[in-house]
Amino acid sequence: MLDTAKTRWHPIAASYDLPFRHVFHGQLLGREFAVWRADDGYINVWENRCLHRGVRLSIGINDGRELKCQYHGWRYSNRTAGCTYIPAHPADAPARTITNRTFAAVERYGLVWSAEEPQGEVPELPGFAEGELLTLRGIAVNAPADAVAARLRSYRFQPTGQIDGSDAKVTVEAANDFSVALRAVEGSSTTLAVFFVQPVDSNRSVIRGVLEGRAEGAVRMAVLHHHNDRLSKLRDVVEREAVARPAPAPLEPVIERVSPELAEMPEETKHGRKATIRVEVARKWQAADGIAGFELRPIRGLLPTFQPGAHIDVHMPNGLIRQYSITNGPGESESYVIGVKLEKESKGGSICMHETLRQGDVLAISEPRNNFPLRRDAVKTIFIAGGIGITPLIAMAQALHNQNLAFDLHYFAQNEAQLAFPEKTSGLGGALKPHLGLTPEATGAKLREILANYQPGRHLYLCGPGPMLEAARNVATEAGWPEAAVHFEYFKNTNKIDDSSSFEVALARSCVTLKVPAGRTILDVMREAGVDMPSSCEQGACGTCLATVIEGEPDHQDVYLNDAERKSGTKIMTCVSRAKSARLVLDL
Amino acid sequence: MITLYDYELSGNCYKLRLLMSMLGVDYKTVPIDFYPGREHKSEWFLKINPLGQLPVIDDDGLVLRDAQAILVYLASKYDPSGTWYPRDEAALLGEISQWLAFADGITGTASAARLHDALFYDFDVEAARVGAHRLFRILDEHLWFGEQEGRIWLCSAAHPTIADIACFPYIMLSEEGGIPRQDYPAIRRWCDRVKRLKGFMVMSGVFPAGPAKAA
Repeated sequence: MLDTAKTRWHPIAASYDLPFRHVFHGQLLGREFAVWRADDGYINVWENRCLHRGVRLSIGINDGRELKCQYHGWRYSNRTAGCTYIPAHPADAPARTITNRTFAAVERYGLVWSAEEPQGEVPELPGFAEGELLTLRGIAVNAPADAVAARLRSYRFQPTGQIDGSDAKVTVEAANDFSVALRAVEGSSTTLAVFFVQPVDSNRSVIRGVLEGRAEGAVRMAVLHHHNDRLSKLRDVVEREAVARPAPAPLEPVIERVSPELAEMPEETKHGRKATIRVEVARKWQAADGIAGFELRPIRGLLPTFQPGAHIDVHMPNGLIRQYSITNGPGESESYVIGVKLEKESKGGSICMHETLRQGDVLAISEPRNNFPLRRDAVKTIFIAGGIGITPLIAMAQALHNQNLAFDLHYFAQNEAQLAFPEKTSGLGGALKPHLGLTPEATGAKLREILANYQPGRHLYLCGPGPMLEAARNVATEAGWPEAAVHFEYFKNTNKIDDSSSFEVALARSCVTLKVPAGRTILDVMREAGVDMPSSCEQGACGTCLATVIEGEPDHQDVYLNDAERKSGTKIMTCVSRAKSARLVLDL
Repeated sequence: MITLYDYELSGNCYKLRLLMSMLGVDYKTVPIDFYPGREHKSEWFLKINPLGQLPVIDDDGLVLRDAQAILVYLASKYDPSGTWYPRDEAALLGEISQWLAFADGITGTASAARLHDALFYDFDVEAARVGAHRLFRILDEHLWFGEQEGRIWLCSAAHPTIADIACFPYIMLSEEGGIPRQDYPAIRRWCDRVKRLKGFMVMSGVFPAGPAKAA
């Protein structure tokens, strides 16, 4: 009876099976895997199934950073297997629950090891040094793994130093249901060979052999052929025996609909802004004149999937909370890289990041949120960044660059020394267009030049200081850009908030009516009543606490909504905006 | 101008479209209603090819049948680089012919299984699948040892030849005949390489590959 323990490590591929930009089709105990190596070397072992329509991801495209399904183009990130883009919903950020199941991967002895619920370590091979061994060609066998392993005990081969000899003595040094260690000795030559039998399914296996010691050139080829020939003969024998027996039923792995961790509702809290992730400042450096770069690595596990345009809340040692965009390119999922400009009139946030925080410090951050999603169906995309506004746009530009989509990145700054993250922007080639040291008038002229000739299918993404954003939005409107094609993100809301009104808020789904007095926000009052609402900047800039208005007239005071959204009267930012009518009904 | 008597779902027609695309040769097609119309067995078509098989080309009056034969002709006539079918390299020509015959073997097995499953042909599908797996095992071993020695195409040349084009389509379409390629990882990698050749085009059931990693 085949041991189907999910806790046991098995090889599922050889290292040579995972060249860059390829997806290997693996299987263990009936469960299929899409296995791919990202350009950063990370080996992804995923359920071989797109979460959308169940198509095998092993026929998908490995672009070095993400895996794209062939069917409807859903993209999944390196490491996390979280969905980063759904072409049919170009304006939306995919929900975090759209995350494929991942499995462990360890590369050792020229083999890639995995298990559904691994316990302990990959088997130790005493005397086998990495790089000092020879991985044989995997031999697929249509027979149960234990039958193959039993037959391997009587496998005969020549030691590497006597490959042309014929009477090596072979002894079994160790054996179990899934592996056999054999030593061949002839004269002074001796070779230890370990054969692992991968249980692909109840009646299918792969023999994966590893020999101690390196061999080069013609000897290496002779050894590889020697084992290939003999293992193929062994396979033929085992297969003949297997055909004579009734075939066992195929194993039927259970495909989880969604992982328990993603399925559960987040805990209710009163304080609202959650910092659920602990990260270490792995690196702090000067990303440009006046701008500090921070690389944030998870203390344990993986960081959640992010999409271009997403930001995180950073909870600082001094108690302040600030939002910073993730600058990472697609698939760069090992750490988050953010850039922080030292503000002259810092209220403590940027000063703390620049002066207090040091490499090695631990920070609490929120999960990434994306209220500035990037469409990838534009004929051409124009990015306009002012100063530190480059950070979300760098992530976006890298995503389009990776997919070979057309874009220009206009980067306004005082001088060359202020251009941040040159190591990221240099990869963008001619698409990066710096504009340095321009006066406000010259900036206006340049914006008019960039935004002239609007053509359908173009999209514009803006991020920078308030006055520049206002100017760019006005220029775009004059040049005929429709509002739906102009996307923007403010650093902060500089509007003076008028909180003198008092009104009533009815939450239609929660069946409660709350009074919002002057001096308090909708968000505050809702939280006090136990309605959990996500928020981030709490000043009307980031878009996190957006609610849908069913009835009543909102009094907009944010800088997140565009004019069309404001006029529609169907959306409201609950952190700063209020009501002009006596009553607001929200879809909450 | 070349005229190709063509059926979209035929792997043998596809291999000609593929090579002509890679060579940048202009051609027009005459679609033949292979299924369900059986136009390739019609009286008018039998006059063009008495075997009643696709594909056939007509190149300014020269009428040729048999996919492998046509590949030889197209590469000999229209490949200025002389690499797809190098006329002066005897050993390589021998290798190419060997794999062209192998491609016929793939047609006789993997394609037959697909015709059984997709177009309801009355074939012994189990025998066809067993035959295809036997060929795929041989091919996977050949390609795996090639990779170990730095040879990434079917023949021992640093470039692809018509042998690669001849074998590619019915391997790629094998799943439609119930023949998975999971046990042939070296074949799967070689398929990626073919898909990355300049001028590569797809057909129904053949998906494109992404770009290779920049060196």
